[in-house]
Amino acid sequence: MTSPKNLQSRTVHARETWAKRCDVTLYMSSTETAFPTVALNVSEGRENLYWKTIRAFQYIHDKHLDQADWFFKADDDTFVVVENLHLILSSFNPEEPYYLGRRFSPFVKQGYMSGGAGYVLSKEALRRFVKGFETGECTHFSSIEDMALGKCMETMKVPVVDTRDVLGRHTFHPFPLDKYVIRKPPGPQAWHMIYDHYPVIEGPDCCSDYAVSFHYIRPVQMYMLQYMTYHLRPFAYKYRF
Amino acid sequence: MLKIHTKIHTVQNLNCSSSSLPLIFCSDWGCSSYVYGEMFFNFNDSRMADELYKKVRILCWVMTGPNNLEKKTRHVKATWSRHCNVVVFMSSVDDPDFPTVGLGTKEGRDQLYWKTIRAFHYVYEHHRHEADWFLKADDDTYVIVDNLRWVLSNHTPEEPIYFGRRFKPYTKQGYMSGGAGYVLSKEALKRYVEGFKSKTCTHTTSVEDLAMGQCMEKVGVLAGDSRDTALRETFHPFVPEQHLTSKFPKSFWYWSYCYYPISEGPNCCSDISVSFHYVDSSLMYLLEYYTYHLRAFGYKYRYNPPISSKILYKLQKNKNTNLLIVRIRLNILGKCMFLI
Repeated sequence: MTSPKNLQSRTVHARETWAKRCDVTLYMSSTETAFPTVALNVSEGRENLYWKTIRAFQYIHDKHLDQADWFFKADDDTFVVVENLHLILSSFNPEEPYYLGRRFSPFVKQGYMSGGAGYVLSKEALRRFVKGFETGECTHFSSIEDMALGKCMETMKVPVVDTRDVLGRHTFHPFPLDKYVIRKPPGPQAWHMIYDHYPVIEGPDCCSDYAVSFHYIRPVQMYMLQYMTYHLRPFAYKYRF
Repeated sequence: MLKIHTKIHTVQNLNCSSSSLPLIFCSDWGCSSYVYGEMFFNFNDSRMADELYKKVRILCWVMTGPNNLEKKTRHVKATWSRHCNVVVFMSSVDDPDFPTVGLGTKEGRDQLYWKTIRAFHYVYEHHRHEADWFLKADDDTYVIVDNLRWVLSNHTPEEPIYFGRRFKPYTKQGYMSGGAGYVLSKEALKRYVEGFKSKTCTHTTSVEDLAMGQCMEKVGVLAGDSRDTALRETFHPFVPEQHLTSKFPKSFWYWSYCYYPISEGPNCCSDISVSFHYVDSSLMYLLEYYTYHLRAFGYKYRYNPPISSKILYKLQKNKNTNLLIVRIRLNILGKCMFLI
């Protein structure tokens, strides 16, 4: 999910690092460019986020449904380790309805997935999302994209999935690593900790070794994360997980 | 009883007409092929790491001071220093609780080389039998000790040599950046201490890394090349972000100091980098997670550092490891294959 003003300042760095590891990558914007971007026929702005999301998924359903089994939405400031996403998805059948990401509890009974951390729809879930808008079961009732999509998933009976690893560590992260792995001084809990459906652990147990995403990643950090994930490693080290 | 694995392993882009034969190693813990200096190992257990820990013993001493213990040093203690065989925290004052060793100096930039001299003498006196290599780091240096073991595994502690990020000015053979950390062999440490006894080496300047380099040159210790086999640097005087993305202005001192040509961008830094400098306390924990935890599942690394034959030979002699070395090269349908 991007916009014309972000293409050269952010999106190009996502493209240079993780985005090429997807089987198909599409850059959704309000205008068509040689980047290349897809024009969604929606204006820019926070209030149009859910319209952009709806149009993006409809576009993918119309033009790209057969090219993939899973459909992952990320922001232009999300860093994604695509191989680890493959790992999680490999246990599920894409012809069944599934909706995966960082589960938040408020507003939707079964919960909804954080937009910034990125979320995945199975092929069947995508079909149901598009069908929901055709039949009117799903509507643009809010501009809060992640919550509204979560409500549509619930309406269309697409179940949520617990994406934590076997040790209960999170894989999708709506913030950069330092928000979780560095212990905070005692005080009132930040909003994002209250929204989390599953317990959030501070310190090294916050985050799985096979983490899938981090959000609010500045362009410079994209290259650093790419180096850390795909290059830097301790020689001969036997990983504990 | 030697285990023989019979899998045919295809290697792409191998020049079959070349006269050098691929060398294959197979053992209980996986197969690897040695092709033109590249080795592909699957470490599904810790035998290689254990062997390196035993054979390449590293003592780390961390330069710090009483005012930094809470803000910085305790985070070094909680993260990378745990991977050293021995770690000693050097300060101006004794602190039995942390613990730190008191070197009997004052604090301050002008004391840096006095602290260094005393620290190496302390380590020589009290710990020289516990290690083969002696690393100096700052309390804002992050060190990946496992990778330091790789760099050192091709050398022996009896060689008069020291490694780090090599700078060129002021000295004939260059000297090692203090902040990026540097490591002396046991022989180098011995010559350092003897150099002071014989007054060959003295406190020439408070610029610690330069003074160390001048002494090393005088006592015949070689300034080693710590770059990997692709000639990428392993010791780094700045944080990863800066090496990977910054375009330093050409007037910046860094350009004229580095002994070897500087690469900006992804080629700046080896996959098996050893150190970074100016690492604040938060970044210590981030780097520990990024290095020892975060990885891409199933990813095949493009750079595979070769393992020294000395270490492999020692592993082979270990009765617990069945090792079969096979040199077979087949040319089938224009593709190079070898039997494992």
